[in-house]
Amino acid sequence: MLCIEAKSLFRSYGNVTAVDGIDLSVESGKIFGFLGPNGAGKTTTMKLLTTLIPPSSGTMTILGIDASRHPLDVRKKIGVVLQQPSYEPTLTVEKSLEKYGMMWDVDVKTRKERVEELLTAFDLQDIRKKKNDDISIGQRRRVQVAREFMHDMDLLFLDEPTAGLDPSARRGLLDYIKGKVRDGLTIFFTTHILEEAEYLCDEIAIINRGKIIAVDTPDELKNKFGREKTIKIRIGETQKEISGILQGIGNYDIFRDEGTVITIHSADSEQVLVKILQALQSNDIPIEDLSVVPTSLEEIFLTVVKNSNASNISSGK
Amino acid sequence: MHPIFRLVNRNLTISLNMGFVIWQVIFPVIYIFVAGFAYTALIHNVPFGQKSLNYPAFIASGMIGFNIMNSTLISGIIIWNDRRHGMFEQILVGPFTRAQYILSNVYTIGIIGLVSAGLITAIGYPIFFKSVEFSVLTVPLVVFASMTGAILFGSIASIISTRLKSSEGFNVVINTVFLFFAFVSTAFYPAQGAPPILATAFYLNPLTYLVDVVRAGIFGTLLIW
Repeated sequence: MLCIEAKSLFRSYGNVTAVDGIDLSVESGKIFGFLGPNGAGKTTTMKLLTTLIPPSSGTMTILGIDASRHPLDVRKKIGVVLQQPSYEPTLTVEKSLEKYGMMWDVDVKTRKERVEELLTAFDLQDIRKKKNDDISIGQRRRVQVAREFMHDMDLLFLDEPTAGLDPSARRGLLDYIKGKVRDGLTIFFTTHILEEAEYLCDEIAIINRGKIIAVDTPDELKNKFGREKTIKIRIGETQKEISGILQGIGNYDIFRDEGTVITIHSADSEQVLVKILQALQSNDIPIEDLSVVPTSLEEIFLTVVKNSNASNISSGK
Repeated sequence: MHPIFRLVNRNLTISLNMGFVIWQVIFPVIYIFVAGFAYTALIHNVPFGQKSLNYPAFIASGMIGFNIMNSTLISGIIIWNDRRHGMFEQILVGPFTRAQYILSNVYTIGIIGLVSAGLITAIGYPIFFKSVEFSVLTVPLVVFASMTGAILFGSIASIISTRLKSSEGFNVVINTVFLFFAFVSTAFYPAQGAPPILATAFYLNPLTYLVDVVRAGIFGTLLIW
C-alpha cells in the first residue's frame, strides 16, 4: 500500500522553481530517504508533503487522503520534525514532552508513560528538569525529535533529524527509528549524512534542482551507478617508480597520495588486483596494507548529482 | 478537548511564569501606591462625570485598563517567540489550522486580560472603595470592555510581532507604541484641562475608551459617560 503518492508536484516562488514536477511513491512501513545537495528542493518538498505550503500544481495523496483538499486530516495522522529547531524556551524538557502530548490530545496516563519512555530512550533523564533555553543545541534537537513520538502517527517526516547530534546520540536515534518502523511506522527522511541513509533507508530518492534524478534501493543505486570498487594499497618504502611498474595493467586510474598509498577505482577490480599484486611482487615492492572497498552511497550521490548538473549545462538549463 | 483549548492551555503554560506575574503586580502597585499618593500633593481631586475622585482612586481605576493593555503584550510575545523558536511552523504542521492558532491567542489574551483586570481591581479596591458604585448593568459592560480592549491591544501586539524580523526591532516598536498608548490616554490624568491638541489625541487612543468605560463602570457614571 502506498503511504505517499505525489504526481507532477510543482512549486515555484516567483520566478524560482523549487520543485519541478516530481513524482514520488512511498510504500507503507518503509524508510524512504530523500537526498539532495543544498537548495535542491528537499525542504520545499517536505513542506509540500506536510501541507505547510500548497503546491503550485500537481496532486498529493498522503495516507489515502487528498492532501491539497484535506490538509488538516493529513496533519492529524502524521508527525513532523522540521529542519529548523523548535522549542519552548521557558519549559523544562519534561514539561515540553508533556505539553506536546497534551497538544496532540493524548490522554494524561499515556502522556506520563510516554514521557518516561522517551526521556530514557533519548537519554534525557539527567536534563529532564532543565529548561530548553539552558540545554545544548544537540540536547534540544534530541528533545525535538523525542517530542514527536509523544503522539500516535502513521507517517513521520524527519528533516535532517540528526543535525547537531554526537555519534552516539545519532546511532541511538537511528536505532529507535528502526524499531518504530518494525512496529509499522513509515518514515520520510532527509539527511546530508549518506552513511545514515545507507544504514536506515529501504529506498532512496535523489533530488537536484527540483527534479528527482534517481530513485531506488541503496543496493540498486550502487548497482546502477557504482559498479566500480576502490582498491587501496599501502606499500613500503621504495625507490622504484610505481606508475612505471603499474603502467599498462588496464583501464583504471592511479592516484598517489603522500607517496605510499595507491588508490585505484576500477569496475574490473578482481582482475586489476591480481595484475597489480603480480607487478608489485615481481618488483620486490612489499605491501603493508590492502583493502577493496565497494563504492559508497556518497560517491554514488556525487556521481549522480554531477551527471545531472552536467546534463543541465549541456541542455542549456 | 477542542484544539483551540489545547492551544490556550499551552499558551498559558508558556507565558505564565513568576517574572510575568510579578511584573503584572509590581508595576501597577507602584503606580497606584507611590505615584497615586505622591501626586496628591499636586492633584487633589479629579472630576469624573458627576463625581469628584481623589487622585489615588482615579489612577487605581485607570491602572485596570492600563494593566489589561500591558498584559496583552503577552500575545505579541507568544507569536514572536513561536516564530523565533520555530514553534509557529511546528504547530502549523500539527493538528491545528491557522484560524485555530489565531483564535487560541485571542482567547489567551481575553483570559489574561480579565484576570489582570480582576487582580488590579482587588489591589486597587482599598483605594477607591469609598466611591465604588457597581451595578448589575455596569459589571457586564466593564467585563465586555475589558475583553474587547484586551483583544484589540493583543491584536496590535500580534500584528507587530508578525511584521518585524529582529528582536531589537520588536522591542523598540512594541515599547514605543505601548508607551504612546499608555501616556497619551486618560489612564494617568483626565482629558479635561489638557491642551486641546493633547485632549484630542487622548480620544484617538483606544486605551482612553477602555479606561473610561472601566472607570465609569466602577464609579457608576457609565450612563452619563
